[in-house]
Amino acid sequence: MEDQDHEGKKILVIQTHGVATPNRTYSPLFYAMAAAAMEMEVMVWFTMDGTNQLKKGEAEKVQLVKDSNVNLKTMLEMTMDSEVELRVCQQSLELWDMKTEDLIEGVEILGATSIIDLSLSYDHVMYF
Amino acid sequence: MAHEKVNGCVILKDLYYNVENNTWVRVIDDSTVAIGMTDVAQNLAGPLLHAKTKKVGTTRKQGKPIATVESGKYVGPVKSPVAGEITKINDALSSDAGLINKSPYNNGWIVEMKADDLSSDLATMVSGDAAVSAYKEKIERDDIQACEQIEGADTYD
Repeated sequence: MEDQDHEGKKILVIQTHGVATPNRTYSPLFYAMAAAAMEMEVMVWFTMDGTNQLKKGEAEKVQLVKDSNVNLKTMLEMTMDSEVELRVCQQSLELWDMKTEDLIEGVEILGATSIIDLSLSYDHVMYF
Repeated sequence: MAHEKVNGCVILKDLYYNVENNTWVRVIDDSTVAIGMTDVAQNLAGPLLHAKTKKVGTTRKQGKPIATVESGKYVGPVKSPVAGEITKINDALSSDAGLINKSPYNNGWIVEMKADDLSSDLATMVSGDAAVSAYKEKIERDDIQACEQIEGADTYD
């Protein structure tokens, strides 16, 4: 297989899993970081159950790697440090009774129409 | 080869370092350099499973990735410390990324590049005792755990 260089492509990662299923939270963020390391423009969009990991004080309770201090908060911070954009669904916030001030720093809110526009404009969408 | 250990991490004094991005540069001639990850970097990343280098002929600005590396717990870019063109890649890494862990400064080199303006790039880096001091400061500031050499690692003592 020809190993193509995809620098500059845009990847949208949609995360629908949250703190109740830790095993489903790690990989999407890891893939997002991998794409960013490959010089792609990456956004992670949190919706449905994925939203609750963005509530202040929640992600640090989720241990991800045994015998290590890596928790979900660490992963979210590493993802943002990799210049991946984190966005959350406005409507999902209401589902979880969350307000803007409940969100961890660095996350922006977008509405449903924005995600439709984004998903059509990105080169690839990964849905989890 | 003159070296010093800082918190167990080997720093070769004849190399140039971009301390922020944890890369080293070995000057081959007036414009050609070899580039790799430091001992500190490979320890932070952990045992590497894959290293994907950019192709020969790729031009890079300083800070743009020449490779991406991944372990079970880490994935990230290796950022170029110089601007120029990749002229050679370490093919051995495609089948054994662990060479970077075992031999970060020798067999684990990542690419060679022809630099556009090497003297300007080198002026942004540190070498010799200044590199050792810079790494002492970084290791303390970032609370970096002691480097542990894995089985088969180069020995410098």
